[in-house]
Amino acid sequence: MPLLFPLVVAALLFAIGVYGVLGRRNAVLVLMGVELMLNAVNLNLVAFDAYLRDVLHGGQVLTLYVIAVAAAEVGLGLAIVLVVFRGHGHIDADRMRDLADRDAVDDAIAAESAGESAAPSRSGVAGADPEPVAVTAAVES
Amino acid sequence: MIAVHGSVLAQEIEIESPNIAYSAIYPILIVFGVALVGVLVEAFAPRPRRYVVQTVLAAAGLGLAFVGTVLVAGDLPETQNGLARGGIEAEGALAVDGPTLFIWGAILLLSFFSVLLFAERRLESGVTAFAGQAAALPGTEAEREASTRGLEHTEVFPLMLFAVGGMMLFPASNDLLTMFVALEVLSFPLYLLCGLARRRRLLSQEAAVKYFLLGAFASGFFLYGIALVYGYAGTVTLAGIDGAITNRVGGDGLLLAGIGLMAVGLLFKIGAAPFHAWTPDVYQGAPTAVTGFMAACTKVAAFGALLRVFYVAFGGAQWNWMPMMWIVAALTMGVGCVLTLTQTDVKRMLAYSSIAHAGFLLTGFVGVQAATRDSDDMTSLVAVMFYLLAYGFTTLGAFAVVTVVRDSSGEATHLSRWAGLGKQSPVLAGVFALFMLAFLGLPATSGFMAKWAVFTSAWAGDAQLLVIIAVLASVITAFVYIRVIVLMFFADPVGEGPTVAMPSVLTVVTIAAGVVVTVALGVAPQPVLDLAHQAGEFVR
Amino acid sequence: MDLYLPILGLAVLGAGFAVVTIVTSALVGPKRYNRAKLDSYECGIEPTPQPAGGGRFPVKYYITAMMFIVFDIEIVFLFPWAVAFDSMGIFALVEMVLFIATVFLAYAYVWRRGGLEWD
Repeated sequence: MPLLFPLVVAALLFAIGVYGVLGRRNAVLVLMGVELMLNAVNLNLVAFDAYLRDVLHGGQVLTLYVIAVAAAEVGLGLAIVLVVFRGHGHIDADRMRDLADRDAVDDAIAAESAGESAAPSRSGVAGADPEPVAVTAAVES
Repeated sequence: MIAVHGSVLAQEIEIESPNIAYSAIYPILIVFGVALVGVLVEAFAPRPRRYVVQTVLAAAGLGLAFVGTVLVAGDLPETQNGLARGGIEAEGALAVDGPTLFIWGAILLLSFFSVLLFAERRLESGVTAFAGQAAALPGTEAEREASTRGLEHTEVFPLMLFAVGGMMLFPASNDLLTMFVALEVLSFPLYLLCGLARRRRLLSQEAAVKYFLLGAFASGFFLYGIALVYGYAGTVTLAGIDGAITNRVGGDGLLLAGIGLMAVGLLFKIGAAPFHAWTPDVYQGAPTAVTGFMAACTKVAAFGALLRVFYVAFGGAQWNWMPMMWIVAALTMGVGCVLTLTQTDVKRMLAYSSIAHAGFLLTGFVGVQAATRDSDDMTSLVAVMFYLLAYGFTTLGAFAVVTVVRDSSGEATHLSRWAGLGKQSPVLAGVFALFMLAFLGLPATSGFMAKWAVFTSAWAGDAQLLVIIAVLASVITAFVYIRVIVLMFFADPVGEGPTVAMPSVLTVVTIAAGVVVTVALGVAPQPVLDLAHQAGEFVR
Repeated sequence: MDLYLPILGLAVLGAGFAVVTIVTSALVGPKRYNRAKLDSYECGIEPTPQPAGGGRFPVKYYITAMMFIVFDIEIVFLFPWAVAFDSMGIFALVEMVLFIATVFLAYAYVWRRGGLEWD
């Protein structure tokens, strides 16, 4: 089998992963996009390893590490996403704009969403403290 | 397939036990070992004791590792006609050479002071600035219970040590496999640390999720780059890649795409434009102690790795990646200094300023001035390493000051709240003004010497245009820093104005260290420059 | 080609077993349908997504799942060692023991801090 086939498949997979990251708003789906990217790379590495007849099997060994790292990444990512979901009530990456450079458009969107959801805390007006009310500081004893 | 290959392999060649020179790499092992002990402490030590045990353990471990680094540096053998010192250890996985040890020293010192910041308890009336129970929702019963019981996440110390271990591994790695693992080992704990703020938890968690998603995205590109470079060179060792480039094996397309994709991952960690988008959000949302730690140490580690990969492995393809790096450097300085102007939050302003500084560092990097036997000129490596050390201490000190300026809701990070700080606490405002002047690059501060070193080496390396852009950018950012100073000393406070909380000795020591290093490197930089000079080039 | 005969046999056996079981249980088993039986089955927890109003999943399930992912993957590093064990000798053995000890440190942490308790 020519080397080109797995390389093209890997490139396509990688591109799908990139699309998943950029096109999806749900953080879990973004995470899946990242995983797809990593697996595309695995395919690439194994294909190169076989093609080059690497005596040390550098590609395969790296693949094992990537698999392990990807698993750790999923564990960590799900934990972060879960705690964000419980705090924010959603995991929509596009709606997380409490931390962002603000401009006129943002303020308009923020005002609109504040009107819709009747959440006066998310005023998002430039200059105002962007901290939502829900984040009341821990009560000190 | 793997199994079949493996068994054939096992019958054909006797694999020899790898030769690992523990005497050269034990500083890393100390850091990781202490981190593991920290995990055990979390598991078995009674809750009230953990804080003290973890703090002492982390500080002692980092101190010990620093002493170890100095000792290792003491007896490095000279190689490459005396241009470099050190050797390749652990079967080619790690390069323990002069630059590595200089960077280790810088990271260990900076992280030692970061531990002190992490351990600060007086500012939050007796607890650390980290969430008592990260899983508890802000404003709920569980959260209140956690805070009345004075719970703290002392896991931050082992997490931080793991990150420091990864940071030491990153610039020392001599093959791309180790480099990838190091990148992830340094990143993962940082993602978690970002989300652990006690106050403004939702912002903190948002920072964590943004940093995580973008970081994972960037490391995907980095890895794809590694795969393509591996496909080009047939090996992942830096020397092997250099050899392949010199002998021009394989297709250039793979190599160039690989270099570009790897650069994305590295430039992301550095916070260079156009991969800088995460920096302000994460710096603002993360607990300030963590921000200081990231701003100082991650930058040092990531620049170390960038220098090693591009100088050692891709040095032969210099003319291919140079234009790209020129553009990135110019863009980074432009974005950094223009957007610094518009910021109204101290932490965001410092974040954009760190982007601008990444641009100055990249200017030094693209000079590619290597050491020669008979000249004592400033090499790019010396300049960048000196800059990293100077900038690290200044930025850590600046973030330490940010933790101290507070109002009823925690840190008062909005710039308008800083008005009149000079009247309230002249010393603190003076210290912050010093840091601002160092960022600006005023003579007699470390920032001036650092910029001078970087610009000299870049000028000598035919990057004059970039140096001119950098000087212009410095002038523009000067406006911001001066504005902050004017705000602190000459503006009237808004409303009640900020209060300056009296921190414990831990934060005071960190700020003092920032001041001392900033002044010392400005007034008498020669010893450190000599040290960086002695470190020599990377071993190949 | 002979090499592949056992695999073929196994495939036939597997398919046959599946078909026979399904057909037998359909013919022999009692047929008492209720709501729980008609629901889809997901590892013992309520199927997701739950009906409107609830919409929350038991978090404990996710902690267990995350832990499984993280610990499960360590076996990846044991495979190459197991394959090349003969030729690598005592050094590799010590390294593996150290590696597994490190994993057990994490396990000890999870265990002591209540990560394994379901309720």
